[in-house]
Amino acid sequence: MDWKRFDSLRSTAGPIELDLVEAYAQNRIGRRDFVKRGTIIGLSAPFMGAIIAACGSSSDGEAAAEPTAAADSGGSTDAEPTSAPAAAETTSGGNLIVGNQFGDANSGLDPVAMLDLGTYNIISQTFEYLVGLGADGNISDNALATGWSPNGDGSQWTFDLRDDAVWRDGSPLTSADVAATMDRMVEFGNSGLAGVIEAGSVDSSDPSKAVISLVEPNGNFPVLVSIFNPQSCITRADYSSGTTLNERDEGTGAWMLESFDPSTFDAKFVPNPNWWGGSTILDSLELRGFADIGTAVTAMSSRSIDVIQNFSVIGGEGLLDDAAFSVLTPPSSNHRQVWFNVQEGDFATSNLVRQALGWCLDREQMVSTLFSGRAEIGNDHPILSSLPFFDADATPQRTRDIDMAKSLMAEAGVDEVNATFTCGDLGEVPDLANIIRANAAEAGINLTVDVQSNSTFYGNSWCPGPSETDPTQPCAGSGSVGAVDYGHRPIPDIFLSSALSTGGVWNSSNYASDTFDGLLSDYRTAPDVASQKTAIGAIQKLMHEDQPALYPYFFNFLAGHDENVSGIQATALGHIVTSKASKA
Amino acid sequence: MLRYIARRLALSLITLFLILLIVFSLTRVFPSEPARQLAGPFASEERVEQLTENLGLDDPLPTQFGRLVRDVVTLDFGESFSQPGVRVLDLIRPALWNSAKLVILSLLLVLPISIFGGIMAARKKDTLLDRSIVSFGLASASIPDFVSGVLLQFLIGVKLGWLPAVSNAPDDAGLLTGIKFILLPALAILFVYFGYIARITRAGAIGAFEADYTRTAYMKGMSSSKVIRKHVLRNALQPTVAVTGTQMGYLFGGLIGLEVVFNYNGLGGLIFRAATAPDFPLLQAAVLSVAIIFMLSTLAADLIIAWMNPRARLDLGDD
Repeated sequence: MDWKRFDSLRSTAGPIELDLVEAYAQNRIGRRDFVKRGTIIGLSAPFMGAIIAACGSSSDGEAAAEPTAAADSGGSTDAEPTSAPAAAETTSGGNLIVGNQFGDANSGLDPVAMLDLGTYNIISQTFEYLVGLGADGNISDNALATGWSPNGDGSQWTFDLRDDAVWRDGSPLTSADVAATMDRMVEFGNSGLAGVIEAGSVDSSDPSKAVISLVEPNGNFPVLVSIFNPQSCITRADYSSGTTLNERDEGTGAWMLESFDPSTFDAKFVPNPNWWGGSTILDSLELRGFADIGTAVTAMSSRSIDVIQNFSVIGGEGLLDDAAFSVLTPPSSNHRQVWFNVQEGDFATSNLVRQALGWCLDREQMVSTLFSGRAEIGNDHPILSSLPFFDADATPQRTRDIDMAKSLMAEAGVDEVNATFTCGDLGEVPDLANIIRANAAEAGINLTVDVQSNSTFYGNSWCPGPSETDPTQPCAGSGSVGAVDYGHRPIPDIFLSSALSTGGVWNSSNYASDTFDGLLSDYRTAPDVASQKTAIGAIQKLMHEDQPALYPYFFNFLAGHDENVSGIQATALGHIVTSKASKA
Repeated sequence: MLRYIARRLALSLITLFLILLIVFSLTRVFPSEPARQLAGPFASEERVEQLTENLGLDDPLPTQFGRLVRDVVTLDFGESFSQPGVRVLDLIRPALWNSAKLVILSLLLVLPISIFGGIMAARKKDTLLDRSIVSFGLASASIPDFVSGVLLQFLIGVKLGWLPAVSNAPDDAGLLTGIKFILLPALAILFVYFGYIARITRAGAIGAFEADYTRTAYMKGMSSSKVIRKHVLRNALQPTVAVTGTQMGYLFGGLIGLEVVFNYNGLGGLIFRAATAPDFPLLQAAVLSVAIIFMLSTLAADLIIAWMNPRARLDLGDD
């Protein structure tokens, strides 16, 4: 331990950074978690490298080194790539065709209102975020903010804006643009920032700095203004809500929208000559819409497209076996939530009955059957095991135990339960529903699976709408049990707040617990990883006790490209980053 | 003849009006909340109500229908519900043109091949050739177009790489390149319609081959090919023409599965997306387009039959 160097470094750190540095120095967290957390709170790579070097060998026995990559925060193995390596010789020019999910046209190419992966991908080619995406799949300072730092308790964050980012007309990006964007998101009710900031939260008195004041301290705020909150892309101050990209081409990003065909969801781009990152290697980019994922897989197999945004294990076997196809597996906390309506319906009577269903699930079977092993078994809470604050000791891993399920039912005084399990027709969800039905039958839980069209499911079964009289029922009338999809977020804040906190906009369980809300607040305001872990561990236990929902697995997000393509990066939210892509 | 055409066109207008009324009624009668579905599940009730008002969905039904009739008469179907700011005609036009290209190529393949097959089967009635053509036709017609499409796509597009597996031709594609990109779906349509058209042609040709006038033509020393060309075809093909005319509606608006398989932006897929959105203006305009095509194609079929058959001309009012 080089104390002199260490002291000199930590004297420059603020309170939140200091907590993290001390935790690392005292071996309370490993190097990997230190780097991951440090990136979130804005520590620079050189600073973290210097701390690691000063501390000597890391606590996990690895040689100290400059942090070039943080561990992934998803269910994929570390060995699997999240981005395509840069080619040894980059080839200039060419057109890249990306098979893109056919977007939900209802919102149009509206950066604030968009909800689907297809639109996220299009918008992110021209608009950028305050916080960018690192090569390791974690957040990074390679976007519109060159750095950020919290105040003493994390209730205010200052973002230093890039001074060479300009809009189409050459005018520079300023903090006024950031302020307008944040206000627009608050007005719309963006789920990622709900309860985190209010209108007028951004101090834009210095055009080069955006100072954002939060409703309460939040140590993870930079993630909420990153690519992982897709609607947080920065738009111009005069960009009015409802404006779509095809109506008004704008952005600071590497590409400019040349044309968009709403009937085919095809978007064509040309390079932005004023992009701060230099010129693109490619001449043009096309995002081609596919209404059917199977057709996209066929197109990729036949090389009608160069990159595929997303595909499933089932149906994508040809690609997985294709030696000339490179699979991208970005960090992913994608999962399916099996909610229970805890206020009305067949599972509202007792948490023991809900726990019983949890003990019925054959998670190994689900992972094997539905994903050929490309998923991580869940433990009925939305905290991914690779997160630094995950408490492995809080709750033992549940396995299928029918005897336990029956004893819980008996303790609840229930012989059998008859309920309708609703879900949308999305991916493997109908198959999951049928597996659950089969698993549950042995314990006397008789489920009838009702697979609905997505438009019916989301509007009528998952979250019909808030109760007019009871604020604890934001999704009054939701189905008594069902499965819904949740896309990747690198931190579980949205999974906890929107989906489970009292009055949360996505709280189909209508779960209302002061204890949970308090723990969530503790987690959000926690200044260091240890405090976050304490709060999260308590949440894990509470979830197992109250059981408002089950979380059977977290599955890998699969994207990929032809072997002749390089410089591509993918996120588990469907973004395909192409600014440095090339094609042989 | 002209009186007949005028009468048919007048009747068509009445039929179109009825179709419009039916489509309008169906979209309004069945439970749906287009404004909620368009605004998304997370939109506030106030936003949904505002959208309902903006789209005129809270107006009385007769008012809404009147607006629709006005839009049809002025050929201005307004804006799409599901594509904010996009005119309905701007969505219909490319889809209609794409469907037309596919239909034209399909017919260029289906008609000659099927008619030839039917004539050969009739000429060699009750032989191995006849039974082979009939059996093959029956089998291929039993397979849905999108199933044969998937098989062709996998075999020829993916495994052999002889043709593009999906039908997304570049914008600057020439005629031959454009044909290459839609040849696979056209072949899938050929598989389905070969059996159908060949069997109808066969039935008509058998009757023509066995007719007195055909026997007389042979006895007069006319060559076989000339007999077929001058006497058999004109009489055998009338049912074929009639059937082809009635199938145009399906070919333009019903190939949803095939369009999905080949990622082809045709009218069928557009109708499906409009129905599920729900996008009332787009759905109404697309269905009306198909209805107009159907009417024009059946009228054209009747006129062709009249040209082929002098007796039919008398029925149409020609002296």
